[in-house]
Amino acid sequence: MILFFLVTACQSTDKLPILGNREAVVRNVNGLPVTDSVYHTIRDFAFISQYGDTVTNHTLDGKIYVADFFFTTCPTICPKMKTQLKRVYDEFRGNNRVVLLSHTIDPARDSVAVLREFADNLGVKDRQWLFVTGDRDTLYEIGEKSYMVTAQADSTAPGGLIHSGAFILVDAQKHIRGIYDGTTVDGVDKLMVDIKKLVDEK
Amino acid sequence: MLCSLCLNFSCQTDEEIKRQKYITEGILLYRTHCANCHQTDGKGLQALYPPIAGSDYLAQKDSVIHLIRYGQQGPIVVNGKRYNRPMPANKQLSDLEIAEIVTYIYHQWGNEKTLTSVADVKKVFPAR
Repeated sequence: MILFFLVTACQSTDKLPILGNREAVVRNVNGLPVTDSVYHTIRDFAFISQYGDTVTNHTLDGKIYVADFFFTTCPTICPKMKTQLKRVYDEFRGNNRVVLLSHTIDPARDSVAVLREFADNLGVKDRQWLFVTGDRDTLYEIGEKSYMVTAQADSTAPGGLIHSGAFILVDAQKHIRGIYDGTTVDGVDKLMVDIKKLVDEK
Repeated sequence: MLCSLCLNFSCQTDEEIKRQKYITEGILLYRTHCANCHQTDGKGLQALYPPIAGSDYLAQKDSVIHLIRYGQQGPIVVNGKRYNRPMPANKQLSDLEIAEIVTYIYHQWGNEKTLTSVADVKKVFPAR
């Protein structure tokens, strides 16, 4: 019983960190300088989903989401990542606060129709898991600048592209709260625990 | 311990010992080259990647051997379901490595008690 209280006490203070650089911004309040921390934030974006409509940062307002980068013909880590992200999808299916956002890094091949077929084949028929495409350089840039992961062309890599196997957990304020190895069961178990923490966060 | 190991081995034919070696190597090769898509349990992934476990495609062993080396483009039908993802070629795998993978696959999911030999692999690729 005591142990139970101890455990709950630990959990309540176990808040996920906000990752990325932060800046101190000084502003004036009633003539006095007040310093605020400005956290690393996902910048605005507009991509096209597997259903052909536009997905922007506002589409995800108020949502907790998991972002990743992949391409449908990837022969190496993507199948592992999609196997793992499917577990997350199945776990949180129907929870309207949780969204998955998979960005292709091969928009030349991964058209809306290709993404639609891929999602269908994976058993995804709703809007809780969005597969997005767009301008190649914009996709690479948001990967590197906003989500802090590698995504770029490399003719020496299998499939012609290299990218990170990370899943990035983003909160309702567009802050990164965790980065996980999306190719392993352990990494994704931890992600699912942390999503629950964020859902419960006040 | 050592004695029981000896006894154990002495009961097995040379052929069976060789098969066990192939299976052991085959497991490792399978995990490296196949399990990303087909999964460690061989069940595939949804309608994206077809299963190997319980697959009717196993009836065509020569096709399986060919597929491992040269990959597959375009649709494939497994157990009456259509799959349409390209499978990458694995040209870096030797005849022996393919024999080991195939021995493992057929031991695990094809209910086979004999080994797939290097000669079995070679006859699928007559030009090599």
